[in-house]
Amino acid sequence: MRRGDSILSKIDWLTVLLFFVIVMLGWLNIYAAVYDENATQNIFSMSLNSGRQLIFIAVIIVLIIVMLVVDFKFYDTFAFAIYGSVLFLLIFILIFGREVAGSKSWFELGAFRFQPSEFAKFATCLAVAKFISTGGFRMDQLRNQIVLFAIIGVPAVLIILQGDTGTALVYSVFILVFFREGMAPTLLILGVSAAIIFILTLMVENHWYLYGGIVLIAAAAIFFSKRTRKRIVMVVLGAAIIVLVIKSVDYVVSDILKPHQQNRVKAFINPDADPLGFGWNVTQSKIAIGSGGAFGKGFLKGTQTKFDFVPEQSTDFIFCTIAEEHGWFGSFIIIGLFVCLLLRLIFVAERQKWRFARVYGYSVACILFFHFAVNIGMTIGLFPVIGIPLPMFSYGGSSLIGFTVLIFILVKLDAHRGQVLVH
Amino acid sequence: MNIKKSILLRVRVAFLLVTLFAIAIVVKTGVIQFAQGEKWKEMAEQINVKYKKVKATRGNIYSDNGSLLATSLPFYKLAFDATIASDDVFNQGVDSLALMLSKFFKDESKQTYKRRLKNARSTGRQYLRLNRKMVGYQDKKKMSGWPIFREGQLRGGVIFEKVDKRFHPFANLSRRTIGFVNENHRGAGLEYSFNEQLSGKDGEALYQKLAGGGEKPLFDSNDIKTENGYDIESTIDINLQDVTETALLKALEYHEADYGVVVVMEVNTGEIKAISNLSRSKAGYYFERYNYAVGGLREPGSTFKLATMIALLEDTNISLNDSVNTGDGILKFYDNTVRDHDLGGYGTITVQQAFEKSSNVAMAKLVDKYFGLNPERYLQYIDNLGLSQPLGLQIKGEGIPKIKRPTDKGWSGITLPWMAYGYGLELTPIQSLAMYNAVANDGKLIKPILVKSIRRADKILDEYNTVVLNDEICSKETLSKLKIMLEGVVERGTAQNIRNSYYKIAGKTGTAQILENGRYTKKYITSFAGYFPADDPKYSAIVVIKNPKGWRQYGSSVAAPVFKEIADNIYSRDIDMHKAMPKEFIAEKDVFPIIKSGNYEELSYICNQLGISNHRGDSQDDWVTTALKGNSISWKDNQVSTKYVPDVKGMTLRDALYLLESCGLRVNIKGKGRVVNQSQYPGSKALKGSTVTIELS
Repeated sequence: MRRGDSILSKIDWLTVLLFFVIVMLGWLNIYAAVYDENATQNIFSMSLNSGRQLIFIAVIIVLIIVMLVVDFKFYDTFAFAIYGSVLFLLIFILIFGREVAGSKSWFELGAFRFQPSEFAKFATCLAVAKFISTGGFRMDQLRNQIVLFAIIGVPAVLIILQGDTGTALVYSVFILVFFREGMAPTLLILGVSAAIIFILTLMVENHWYLYGGIVLIAAAAIFFSKRTRKRIVMVVLGAAIIVLVIKSVDYVVSDILKPHQQNRVKAFINPDADPLGFGWNVTQSKIAIGSGGAFGKGFLKGTQTKFDFVPEQSTDFIFCTIAEEHGWFGSFIIIGLFVCLLLRLIFVAERQKWRFARVYGYSVACILFFHFAVNIGMTIGLFPVIGIPLPMFSYGGSSLIGFTVLIFILVKLDAHRGQVLVH
Repeated sequence: MNIKKSILLRVRVAFLLVTLFAIAIVVKTGVIQFAQGEKWKEMAEQINVKYKKVKATRGNIYSDNGSLLATSLPFYKLAFDATIASDDVFNQGVDSLALMLSKFFKDESKQTYKRRLKNARSTGRQYLRLNRKMVGYQDKKKMSGWPIFREGQLRGGVIFEKVDKRFHPFANLSRRTIGFVNENHRGAGLEYSFNEQLSGKDGEALYQKLAGGGEKPLFDSNDIKTENGYDIESTIDINLQDVTETALLKALEYHEADYGVVVVMEVNTGEIKAISNLSRSKAGYYFERYNYAVGGLREPGSTFKLATMIALLEDTNISLNDSVNTGDGILKFYDNTVRDHDLGGYGTITVQQAFEKSSNVAMAKLVDKYFGLNPERYLQYIDNLGLSQPLGLQIKGEGIPKIKRPTDKGWSGITLPWMAYGYGLELTPIQSLAMYNAVANDGKLIKPILVKSIRRADKILDEYNTVVLNDEICSKETLSKLKIMLEGVVERGTAQNIRNSYYKIAGKTGTAQILENGRYTKKYITSFAGYFPADDPKYSAIVVIKNPKGWRQYGSSVAAPVFKEIADNIYSRDIDMHKAMPKEFIAEKDVFPIIKSGNYEELSYICNQLGISNHRGDSQDDWVTTALKGNSISWKDNQVSTKYVPDVKGMTLRDALYLLESCGLRVNIKGKGRVVNQSQYPGSKALKGSTVTIELS
């Protein structure tokens, strides 16, 4: 066989392997989450989530084969077209969608239901990559930055309108991609600081401590650095803005956030305040994880993650099942697998010579990272509960197919990295 | 900083971020699992406690003699909290417990049960449902003695969760009248009509949610006690109900009819003794689907001629011997025709004959003649009979009679003459029956009742006595004429086929064509309403059978025989209704002493003393009856038990008293000699403290 003939010889098998290991472990854990010893159940039964997940796995295998066969230039050429049609779907669903659990993000075609917001992710990745990779693109131009924020902002806003704020938050992770592609870090730093201040404000009841702290830091900044007039003005101005932010937090929490979002924030700040009320999910999740110990109770032997103690036990809170049945070591292995996959994806992205492929690769890694971090973070109380699935692991067809497309476009692009001319 | 360096730095930041975050997660998971493990365990116990509704036990429904028609039986979900028992108790008992479970449920091997118990123990499972099958009260008692289980819930960990199930000891008997209530609080029959009284008040108790699914009660002083429901004593006589249903079913199956209704009512009290509604399913079998007796409006047809006769006799000076010319059985009103059943008509007949032969032409003609100019007056008699209003039954869903008024839309020149023979108006079977019962009850119209009292033990919440709706529906003279004609229907008229020499039945047949999509079809609703014994009426009844197939589609041939079968059955068992059996029926004097039934030892002693050959055969009881075989006697078991009313006919007073009283019955004695009759039917359930009348002769 001539070198370069077969796609199979060029794809990154390590990524593929990690991907499938995670998918299969997910499938087993979905079964464990719904398993009931007293009912005669079968992992293949279509009445169980596990049986249906197996169908989705079969679907993605077919999908992967199709994606590897399609010409790699397709994604570059049709990036905006794909992005456009997904936006159309998102608008369409706002009007005709089916409401499930308060959010209008489901689309129904006969017996088949899917969530277009899961497909908006890879479409947005393609659009971002396409825009950045166009000739003459410079990140330091304000106009370009505005266009980029519009590309990620439009789907995010549409998804918020559907009532699915959690999924919309995923789009904020593109800022990391922009940063990698040369955007000044100011925005990133500002964003992170704002988040920290926001949380601090909620955690510290007496705001005078905060004001005192700000004055101290400002004073120290002025005292220890070169005291030019410009710098002093900057520091004082910055401090004043921070004070204003603190003042506005109460307003944001009580007037802008919806009640269930307020509760999630409250539960995150102080989960023990009302463990039966808004803290219920996280409390139950922690009870389940806590009962796992070092080595867990064994496969299918968990008790907390079944019988509706933990909510959404086969979707958003699937990590509890791992932690309960396989303990700390089991969790460690799963986290290890995800970290390996993430690092591998960043590595793959970094070795692309084609800017389109590289930006796309980074976007994929960042989205996956956000899902992984926030999903596990929320089950152990590191993040507020925002209801996003653990990639490839949680039950759900749309989500599984969405992540498969996301990753295998990158695998396809990577397989052809020798064929593109460097810009 | 050059651009290349900057990018490299940023890539490193990316790698670092992922790694740092992963470490944070691993650390936090470890903290929850190792450092805070106990804290979360305690939390789990604390927060999974909540108040839960405890259902009150629903009251029972009894028949008139105290037999249970509907009751709630406790069943139990069997579960096990594997964390409770001490190691000693668990390890010693687990083998035998697994064996017991396996033997009891017969679905899994001993090993499987043992494995499940041990698994649950090792994983700290607090709620293991041992079997999906629920166990009854007796089984629960038995299980409470099993190893580990016998330590109780607090030390052994067995959990019996009570679930009440509605149970009908007589299965489908009177199903629709007893009724049901579903989870959405909808239903039918007595269960639904008296739901409030039956259901009682739910309480509240503290429960803990257990790992593994399920709950266990915690004892708490704040519990709200449940208040159990009241019992309902209905008027249904279970034996009569059985007879009624059997007779109706037989007829329905024979005629392949759509549905049938029978209601049997006690004349003096209005108590409904039997009520049966059987509908045909698609598969061709019959079951209770809808209470037609109560809610099924239909055109009454000829049974309504009784009301017409009352109006005629009360309002005019018409006499039973007046003649009516029915011609050739066809009478034209405007464009419509009244026809008699018999082709060719009856010619000129008397009013009495017109009723007995059920001439439509005569009724239409007479009503048109006397009330044609003043229909409202005719309707006043209908109102007076209580037919234009619902009766206000205790059971929900009574049909509202549809009777047109001259002021109503749709009233036309033919409305009145058609109404005269029961068309163009709608009544329920029970409403028609009330009218016949009033005639039987010397003109007193009373409300049919289904429930006698609502009580809990001796505490009576409500008692329902006979309600008189109209003291006198017509004059005494009219009444006696009506009775003559109703008896005449059976003696000479349309229902001659049910005439018998033992007792008299009075009643009226009805055959109404069914209106479908505004046209009268070749389908019929046949009926028979009446009372018996005609001389001293005790029961009134109505039989309605819709759309019988085949060529015999008249009230006389379809409905009347059902009536007779039920009447025969009641007659044969009701001591007050007939004269005692003549003596010669009791004993064959020449062959054997009068004793026909008694204690085996004593009877065989007498026989042996007198030299009468007697054989025991396979009889083994102490109590026997006799059968003659040629010149010898053979003994038969009398199957005496203290649970059922014994057959004491033919016994001496001493034997009869002994047997009846040992069943806990109070005995009322009439006459002297041998027992010839007993008021409680042999083989019916012996209700302690109730009175049985025996008649001796």
